[in-house]
Amino acid sequence: MSGAPLPVPAPALVDVSGLRIGIRQGSREPLRVVDRADFQIGRGEIVGLVGESGSGKSMVCRSLIGTLPRRGAFIMSGRIEFAGHDLASIDERAWRDIRGKKIGYITQSALAGLNPVMTIEAQLREAIDQDLSANAESSAARAKGLLDVVRIRRPEVVLRQFPHQLSGGMRQRVIIASAIAPRPQLLVADEPTTGLDVTVQAEIMKLLRTIQADMGLSILLVSHDLALIDDVCEKVVVMHAGACIETAGVEQLAKPKHPYTAALQRSRIELAAPGQELVTIVGRPPAVGSWQAGCRFADRCDMARSDCRQGDHPPLRPIGQGRSSACLHWDRLP
Amino acid sequence: MDATDHSRSAGRRVLGSLGYRTLRAAAVSFWVMVIAFGLIRLAPGDPVLARLGAEAEPAAIERLRRQLRLDVDPVTQFVEYFLALLKGDLGVSIENGRRVSDIIATSLPVTLWVIAVTVVLGLCMAVPLAAWVATARHSSVPYIFRAVTSVFLAIPAFFTALIALIVLGVHYGVAPIIGYKPDFPENLYYVWLPALVICTHLVPVLSRVLYSSIKETMAEEFVETGVVRGVGRLRFYWYYLLRPSLAPSIVLLSYMVGVMVGATVIIETIFSLPGIGRALVGAVIGRDYPVVQGCVLLFGLAVVAINLVGDVLASWLDPRLELR
Ligand SMILES: Nc1ncnc2c1ncn2[C@@H]1O[C@H](COP(=O)(O)OP(=O)(O)O)[C@@H](O)[C@H]1O
Ligand SMILES: [Mg+2]
Repeated sequence: MSGAPLPVPAPALVDVSGLRIGIRQGSREPLRVVDRADFQIGRGEIVGLVGESGSGKSMVCRSLIGTLPRRGAFIMSGRIEFAGHDLASIDERAWRDIRGKKIGYITQSALAGLNPVMTIEAQLREAIDQDLSANAESSAARAKGLLDVVRIRRPEVVLRQFPHQLSGGMRQRVIIASAIAPRPQLLVADEPTTGLDVTVQAEIMKLLRTIQADMGLSILLVSHDLALIDDVCEKVVVMHAGACIETAGVEQLAKPKHPYTAALQRSRIELAAPGQELVTIVGRPPAVGSWQAGCRFADRCDMARSDCRQGDHPPLRPIGQGRSSACLHWDRLP
Repeated sequence: MDATDHSRSAGRRVLGSLGYRTLRAAAVSFWVMVIAFGLIRLAPGDPVLARLGAEAEPAAIERLRRQLRLDVDPVTQFVEYFLALLKGDLGVSIENGRRVSDIIATSLPVTLWVIAVTVVLGLCMAVPLAAWVATARHSSVPYIFRAVTSVFLAIPAFFTALIALIVLGVHYGVAPIIGYKPDFPENLYYVWLPALVICTHLVPVLSRVLYSSIKETMAEEFVETGVVRGVGRLRFYWYYLLRPSLAPSIVLLSYMVGVMVGATVIIETIFSLPGIGRALVGAVIGRDYPVVQGCVLLFGLAVVAINLVGDVLASWLDPRLELR
């Protein structure tokens, strides 16, 4: 035995492994919508979760806030470790102490994410009341303080308004304010800038970054658009057809080790060229319920060989430098 | 944009739109009055003959006609009627000489009580029912709901009324068969069954509309926020499910109440309630012009007012709806 002992890695805040999510369909077999999600979120880390729409990103988010049952969905197998709990198996009572309090949630659409019949103040107070460590500071003062944190000018006016009186960007700031009000350890942001102008999108991303740095929380940032999040994230998890197929540091992604990630990158570069037809990835993602055997990307992949179409979906495997890929032939990529 | 200006101008808009609506209501009422005045005169028959009988002396007929100023041309009659109306005078019944305003004052409250009890009863049944069906875990609940409400809608209200009267009134004696006492709360004893009968149609329609609104609301993202925040059960039902969903149902209810004001005549006849519907039917049969005009004008005003209340209530429930 020689050499220095290996540094013990700090345990991740969130560790999702082998997660499968199904949707109940009466007496029939449940419909699998997520099959093999594996990723970790470190403390104070911003992790991006990207993939085409329909790849199961929102389902993964809901499994982290315990709202799957509302959609008739449930966790079929796998673990979600979070601060000493396995979120995949805790009951509703335990969820009540975690959901919204230790794990905050930012809805997909800024325009639909606020309650239309409540004033901003009422909604923020509801969120503030979730803070278990509430101190003497009055909730009115804290509501105002929160709006300052998310850089809303004239908070005393905004507090009295209803969501439809605010612009999309303002609304998303309010949503962020209410999500961070109980001082969560993790923030799940499901496509938080859908429907906003590009410039506003960038501002919201910057805001998330600042809040993360100030509060030291971790963020899972979901997007179908790689370009949007790669300034903000440290690490990116790529999903395709219900499976995590690649995880890597954000700089490492310049050299993708999965053909799907490579295709995402290409479509992004070609999108940027003006006056050109929109280039998307060949073919469509396989519909849930009709996933083929083997790698679910095989039918869209020009590298696929016969072994790609056999057995289960290939698992995500470490390939060195802290990154992982689910491609059997990742070493053939440049 | 400046937020203060926004809320100030919103306030001005509400006031402005109330003024506009009042004007519109006045215009609608005027035309209702013109139509009532014209239609009852177009109908064949004669109020004087109706009162004195066909065998009356021509001289007596002529005298009464002059006394009632029915001998002048219709335009003059209308102008005189309108000028009197502006002074608050609705005229006098040809049939029995009672002031029309008195007739309305005694019969209108009966109808209003029936409608008020119907609305309260209907909301108390439709709102919990719709909320329960929309949030029911078992997938067969909405199907059963739809089937049962269809059955209720398919049964004519007058039939239900007759059966209810025979079963509950005659056989079990838990409801009155006839009569009315005007004082609250004794009058409730006389209106609960008619109200329940109207509810057999009102509740299915209302709960279906509300059910689909709640379903739409439940699919919205802010509901997920409420779940994540873990707001209390009652608070969740009211602020996250019902209040964002109620506005269309309230607008519908106000229209249905408008229709009901006219339709209560059937129920009032079956249950022998001395309401305004029955007063109107009697007046039309007797060609009692002033009473017909007064009642129809009142119906028009009631419908306009109820719709206004419905719209104000809806925009209070849901701030997204600004009054127009
Ligand atoms: N209630 C449902 N019934 C059937 N399929 C569903 C249901 N909800 C979602 N899905 C399917 O699950 C898959 C994953 O959905 P989602 O997690 O919303 O994807 P993403 O957020 O990545 O766009 C999609 O293909 C979607 O069609
Ligand atoms: Mg989604």
